[in-house]
Amino acid sequence: MISQYRGIAPKGQLELLKILGEKFMGRSILNVNSTRAGGGVAELLHRIMPILASMGMDAHWEVIEADDRFFDITKKIHNALQGNKEDFNDGMWDHHFEINRQNAEKLDLAADFVFIHDPQPAPLIKFRKRGHWIWRCHIDMSTPQQDVAGRIMDYARLYEAAVFSVAKFAMLLPIPEFIVLPSIDPLSDKNRELAPAEIEETAQKFDLPPDRPMILQVSRFDRFKDPVGVIRAYRIVKKYNDCILVLAGSPARDDPEGEAVLAEVQNFADGDPDIRILLLPPFSDKEINALQRLATVVFQKSLREGFGLTVSEAMWKGKPVIGGAVGGIPHQIVHGVNGFLVYSEEGGAFRARQYLNNDEMLKRMGEAAREHIRNNFLITRQIGDYLSICLGAESGGKTVMEIG
Amino acid sequence: MRPKVKPGKESGLFEFRECRKLLKATGKKARNLAELMELIRTASDASIYHHTQEYFFKGHIVEYTNDFAQWVASVLEARVLSENLSSIDPFRQSSAEALRSDFANSISAYLEKFGAPGNVLPGEEFYFQESVTIVFPAGFRALNLAEFLMAMRFVDSQSIYYHFYEGRRRLEGVDDFSKWVEATLGHRDLALRIRAIDPFMHSIEGVREHIVSFVEDALREEIEVGGI
Repeated sequence: MISQYRGIAPKGQLELLKILGEKFMGRSILNVNSTRAGGGVAELLHRIMPILASMGMDAHWEVIEADDRFFDITKKIHNALQGNKEDFNDGMWDHHFEINRQNAEKLDLAADFVFIHDPQPAPLIKFRKRGHWIWRCHIDMSTPQQDVAGRIMDYARLYEAAVFSVAKFAMLLPIPEFIVLPSIDPLSDKNRELAPAEIEETAQKFDLPPDRPMILQVSRFDRFKDPVGVIRAYRIVKKYNDCILVLAGSPARDDPEGEAVLAEVQNFADGDPDIRILLLPPFSDKEINALQRLATVVFQKSLREGFGLTVSEAMWKGKPVIGGAVGGIPHQIVHGVNGFLVYSEEGGAFRARQYLNNDEMLKRMGEAAREHIRNNFLITRQIGDYLSICLGAESGGKTVMEIG
Repeated sequence: MRPKVKPGKESGLFEFRECRKLLKATGKKARNLAELMELIRTASDASIYHHTQEYFFKGHIVEYTNDFAQWVASVLEARVLSENLSSIDPFRQSSAEALRSDFANSISAYLEKFGAPGNVLPGEEFYFQESVTIVFPAGFRALNLAEFLMAMRFVDSQSIYYHFYEGRRRLEGVDDFSKWVEATLGHRDLALRIRAIDPFMHSIEGVREHIVSFVEDALREEIEVGGI
């Protein structure tokens, strides 16, 4: 399976996976989270598990079972860790622990390496049988509600190491804390190469003119993604350059504000025939892929962002993105090299005009964007990071590890 | 068919290796210049190297030459200081301690002259990190200069970083490439040309271009017939 990435991922990343695969042949690795479908963690595990298995590892993925009350509590934990005020009582923490205890009885937790994802199953560490246990936290813990952070830290500190997505998401723990940046899979429907006919099919489906420059933003209809700001930027550009604007997003059922924001955006577009607001059904991965390839200029003008992997997705297609300097976007865009970081609608419009007026710059920065993603944000790098953490756990925390 | 040789010193083979950096958070962060200075003074050697020498691992040197200068420029917008910090060459200093002093003294001098800018917004702090290095074969090897040239063209940039930049820390200021070229191939002139490439002034790809060009020159001299 790794061989499918040959010629796509950097040779060194594949060499490392080959060596680590030989080293960990037959060893068991277990991932535990709280859902098998929906959300970035499940999506990541769906991609990673078959690759680990194909490398000869005994790879398992378990999902904890819980009642609605548990998920209400863990949703509050999630919100509180991200800085929102939530009220808790001892009964809620007891239930959180009790559900984990029940799961520990049912699940086979014996493995050489155990990755526990996020706070929901964090108490499972109390039922550790053997192996190296690592807590993988995908959420932003930089400004948490302190009492809630304290409860979670009481579990986290029992692990051998913790992993966060960005340095600023990490909390202060007395165990090694690794930073593993997220990644995209270049073979998934959202990112794989498309045949010209597939791209054309999407262009026709949405009636997109083939001969006019297209500005695109792919995101949920959420105020933090600033779709209205993108329209304002487009209107500035339109005074100087012919172009159309496509705002594409899926309705998020867990976001009650989504419909209101969509209405706001439609209202603000004011019937402009060159603004296309596309409400895509969930799992429209191939369409999003095609839209990103059809675009001339891609925006991710977020005002607040988690990591913002749509930036990497567009960059992988050779598009130098214009992004808001928030969340994980500055990790992906090197300003002036493979894209631009902007702080205002005017800034976004100016950069878009630069791209539209300079084919050479668009091409050069687009190539740099793809290369940056190839080296830093492909799934092969992320798997290498996880297995390197396993290697480190076995080596007793060495700072230089020579293998192969 | 390629002769069977064992990698290692005895065979004279240059086995390209490369490295990956696994990032580690230290939990320490600076909200302002005074905190940055204090944390630089107390940070681990690994953290100082990570934010200075390993800055070159990123491969895209834009305007500044280390993480401290980059943060001072882009977040604090203290351009004078970012230029001062950027001029500190991490490859010229013999130890992390000396580097630490250079950075801390530079910030101290700036604070005395210009005073301290205020705290940055939450989320924009400077986060001190370290790294764990994983070294492994890059999948290329060379027995002679011609093979070396081909490998240099295709090997990952992380391999060039490992041999050219990180080699200096292992070999007291000398890179792996020039050492092999001189010690194994006896090509002293070429070794000196490679050694003269200033690591501080180039990105990894810039280093690759220079080495490829120097090796091409050396090979052309070897195969050219006639004295004109």
